Amino acid sequence: MAQWNDYHHEDEDVDGEERDESGVDYKSTGRDSLVFLVDASKEMFIMGEDEEPSPFDMTMQCVRSVYTSKIISSDKDLVALVFYGTEQSKNPRNSFKHVYIYHDLDLPGARRVQDVDGLRGEKGAQVAGETMGSGNTNLGEALWCCSNLYSDIKLRLSHKRLMIFTCRDTPHGGDSERDRQARTKASDLKETGVVIDLMHLMKPGGFDVSLFFCDVVSPPEDEAELGLQMEPCGKLEDLQKRVRAKEMKKRSVARLNLCLGEGMNVAVGVYITALQARKPNAIKLYRDNNEPVRTKTRLYHTQTGSLLLPSDTKRVQVYAGRQIVMEKDEVDVIKKFSDPGLELIGFKPMERLKLHHHLRSAVFIYPEEEMVTGSACVFTALLRRCSVRNVFALCKYTRIRNSPPRFLALVPQKEEVDDGQAQIAAPGFHGIFLPYADDIRTLDTPQLPTASESQVDKMKEIVHKLRFKYRSDAFENPVLQQHYRNLEALALDLMAPEHIEDLTMPNVNMIDQRLGSLAQEFRDLVYPADYNPEGKTAPKRKPAEAAGGTEKKPKVEMSEDELRGHVQKGNLGKLTVPVLKDACKQFGVKVTGTKKQELIDALTAQLTK
Amino acid sequence: SPPDSFKSEGKEIKMARSAKTALVLCLDVGFSMSNSAPGQEPPFQQAKKVIQKFVQRQVFAENKDELGLVLFGSDNTKNNLAKDDQYQNISVHRQLMIPNFELLEEIQNDVHPGSQQADWLDALVVCMDLLQNETLGKKYERLNIVMLTDLNTPSSPDQLDIIIGNLKRAGITLQFFLPFPVDGGGSNPPHGGKALSREQQQGLEMTKQVMMSLDEEDGLEEVYTFSDAIEKLSVFKRVEKRPMAWPCTLTIGSSLAIKIVGYKAVCEERPRKSWSVVDAQTHQKDDIKRDVVYCLNDDEETEVQKDDTIQGYRYGSDIVPFSKVDQDQMKYKTDGKSFAVLGFTKQSMINRHQFVGTQVLKVFAPKDDEHAGVALSGLIRALDDLKMVAVVRYVYARNGNPQLGAAFPCIKEKYECLVYIQLPFMEDLRQYSFPSLENNKKYTPSEDQLSAVDSLIDSMMLVEEDKDGVKKDLFKVNHIPNPQYQRLFQCLHHRAVNPSAPLPPMDPWLTTALQRPLAVATRCQAPLEILKKKFPLKEVVKKKELKTSKELFGNSCLGTGRSNQIYLYSPSYITMQVKA
Repeated sequence: MAQWNDYHHEDEDVDGEERDESGVDYKSTGRDSLVFLVDASKEMFIMGEDEEPSPFDMTMQCVRSVYTSKIISSDKDLVALVFYGTEQSKNPRNSFKHVYIYHDLDLPGARRVQDVDGLRGEKGAQVAGETMGSGNTNLGEALWCCSNLYSDIKLRLSHKRLMIFTCRDTPHGGDSERDRQARTKASDLKETGVVIDLMHLMKPGGFDVSLFFCDVVSPPEDEAELGLQMEPCGKLEDLQKRVRAKEMKKRSVARLNLCLGEGMNVAVGVYITALQARKPNAIKLYRDNNEPVRTKTRLYHTQTGSLLLPSDTKRVQVYAGRQIVMEKDEVDVIKKFSDPGLELIGFKPMERLKLHHHLRSAVFIYPEEEMVTGSACVFTALLRRCSVRNVFALCKYTRIRNSPPRFLALVPQKEEVDDGQAQIAAPGFHGIFLPYADDIRTLDTPQLPTASESQVDKMKEIVHKLRFKYRSDAFENPVLQQHYRNLEALALDLMAPEHIEDLTMPNVNMIDQRLGSLAQEFRDLVYPADYNPEGKTAPKRKPAEAAGGTEKKPKVEMSEDELRGHVQKGNLGKLTVPVLKDACKQFGVKVTGTKKQELIDALTAQLTK
Repeated sequence: SPPDSFKSEGKEIKMARSAKTALVLCLDVGFSMSNSAPGQEPPFQQAKKVIQKFVQRQVFAENKDELGLVLFGSDNTKNNLAKDDQYQNISVHRQLMIPNFELLEEIQNDVHPGSQQADWLDALVVCMDLLQNETLGKKYERLNIVMLTDLNTPSSPDQLDIIIGNLKRAGITLQFFLPFPVDGGGSNPPHGGKALSREQQQGLEMTKQVMMSLDEEDGLEEVYTFSDAIEKLSVFKRVEKRPMAWPCTLTIGSSLAIKIVGYKAVCEERPRKSWSVVDAQTHQKDDIKRDVVYCLNDDEETEVQKDDTIQGYRYGSDIVPFSKVDQDQMKYKTDGKSFAVLGFTKQSMINRHQFVGTQVLKVFAPKDDEHAGVALSGLIRALDDLKMVAVVRYVYARNGNPQLGAAFPCIKEKYECLVYIQLPFMEDLRQYSFPSLENNKKYTPSEDQLSAVDSLIDSMMLVEEDKDGVKKDLFKVNHIPNPQYQRLFQCLHHRAVNPSAPLPPMDPWLTTALQRPLAVATRCQAPLEILKKKFPLKEVVKKKELKTSKELFGNSCLGTGRSNQIYLYSPSYITMQVKA
């Protein structure tokens, strides 16, 4: 079966680039920081076989995708890009030779993304050669320089990570003094809480971690992981996967007890692994300097004008004409049923979990050995037996103090790794939210004839022609992507935003071509000659021409404030005639002419009254 | 099925909103209603509870149904038919009206057991008269009389045929609520109670006769016991929403289209009303105003006018001014609703834990379009046979955000449909990796430990086979009403009638419904004890938290003690659900 991209792009050049790694809006408590320490030696620029990109090129693509994903999903995180083994040096006071700080530890922004873009591909290699060049390697100095980056930050950093990208297993070519110095600096860094990862890339003859790097990197989270890091990355996809898995700090939304029965509490963390990413809220800026303003909400008494404290208010609902009054605290406390936690009710065979019992994104449950020792062992035993016996655990879930209970089906998932030993499924339980009686609607199901065997068989042929291999990370959200491309374009003063490809659109031509006469044959089998399946219901439109195009733009309502803003700044002229006309209608402004200036004058007169 | 409600609600969801019910509650307050075995609640109190709970439900439903209340066996007489010594001790307490809190208060404060007796058949005639007079010339969907009595008065059966004839002619339906079950009577005393008196046996026979003549097949199903009714009526029923149809066209490429209609099938239901903020003294909403001010991020927090602000977005470290007008012109646009197939994939490729979105749609062909029905059936059956799903682009309406989703085949005995559930975009996924649990020696359970877990699972299976081989589910979440709203309405009602009293404790049935079923709780005790011994668990106490942990520990001891007591309540609600 074809992968989605190939399937979607049939008869087109498969363009596997721009896989922005992205995530969700996530409330973070501290600032995460990530330093990319990238080898810039000559070896890094050697292209692989079959036009494979060079290790340096692959690294830059990774850095770029981390930058853009941070912008979308965790825009408070700090990122730095530092090169070592360069000819040129660029660092504060230039006290470190052959270390080039390309980006200081800071929030990634549009400019930085553009910078990294500039280092990609053949042209990028050229740019890198001209600005930094390749020279001596002193990893110790580079690590020292990086530790200064961290200490220069005034903000509280909750998670510090440093990733070394290299294809050389003996960076100092046997210079034991430099090796020793690098090891010392590495352990200094680790002592201050920095986690050091090695993202080692393919090298002819193999990358031997034991020669040097095993003493530099941080010990793995657990003993089992030891084996995983030994394989070097040969493909961009693998490297991205590896970086992605490390780059985000796992944060639980809750740490709770899973109570199996009285006196048997297992500590678990609750994680979110899939949640709809949304466009962030707009922020208000002060017109004069484009600085964000803060909003303050105040409650005051309409008659006396005095400010009210929350305690000066009560809550009300009206039923059958009667006001029912409660204190704010009462409203909160009636939502309380039990203390936060997961309470085991019992077990059910997997087939009792109905596909359509879906309410919201699932959570992931993993033991918290640091809270209750022994948790991981009970958890593992439970996970194994549930998995083997094909049962799920039914639990009552109370997330926080005043949250009403929901029931979760805890579905076991065994760990799975791919060929490169990267984890593709984590061990733990998925918590599926189950609907209450109120959440299920009674529907009036129509009584209709069913299809005959020949009709079904024809459809099977159609299904067969249009098979592909679904992957959950193959589809980008076109709305979000468009939004961020727009912002990018505005931030960088581009003429137009970069074109996005909408992967949610069916490739109609490809589908038609594959189906050939099958569609007609199926239609002949199920529809009478005079039947029009597209009649009555809304007329089908052709797929939109790329973003907007010829179609009529929907009416845009402007708020009075916005219009006033335009009037004050005198830039009504920048608006188009239809927009101005609409504005006149909206604010009841009478206009005699239709010339643009007449419209502007009328609006200005009305709004400066 | 057990009484879910009086006939004013129930199966009429599909009818137009204007259709309303006229219903007369006919309550026996005669002296025998106060008799009960020691330790048992008198029938009068039970019947009063049934009425209160029902009226309460009607008040909160805020529909147009009208309600009357007739008492019989009362000390006074007040009805249109009373003449000489006829129709005595029957009192029309309230004419047909939309029920309100005043009625609830009247029932609470003014309806007391009387010292007289009256013939329940006479009372029935008064109710019929009331219904007919007061509904004259108005349109009602249904006329219903609810009789709550212990049948303990001698009645003369001579008029029975005439009464039945009149009920039929007027299209009036009847429901009976009795202290004893209709089929458990006779000489066998119902659960610990007294044997039925001769009057009651005779009354029961007449009740059966009336009900069977009105509805030969299901008539007896409209005779309930007080206790059943109280239990059922304790559950606040949500107000059914009419399912909204979403007509669209399923497309496969440009040349294959099937007309479809989608309905929301599963979705988190929220209460219709929300809290509004009022002034604590006056309880007036208008006395409070909320006001948003904008200020600069300087030390003085200088206030600025809203007009002096513009809209912007963060792009990492950049702050990009982006006006609404610009945004609307540049944003991604869709051109109308869509249910377009992108391709087909194996069902096993779709991970259920990656479902996103907050609803499930069921997709049918339009009910009057059999050609579409056949075409859709072809797709559903093909997918079902091949164990595949359609991956579709879904757009609810013009300029709605596009979704990616899976349409699963669903074949039931009575219908076929596609089940549509939203799938994640790449941006929605957090691909965390977690340390392995399999390869870690520290966490590897021994065979001994694994078998302890096995016995726990065995003892806690919620689905079991009864002796006839029928599988029974002891804990169906989809039969439990959302406890949040049950509790909310319990408190709202209590506060409405007792404005100054503190909130009531949680209804015991609700607490029980949310807990491990009694049978399972008992069964798992021994395996749980073994498990505790096999798996030592030790709470890691951080120095800082030492004190609070102690407090917590104390609290949790108290908590578990209490919940243990609750286990002792009979989980009748749950067993009832299973039966249903």
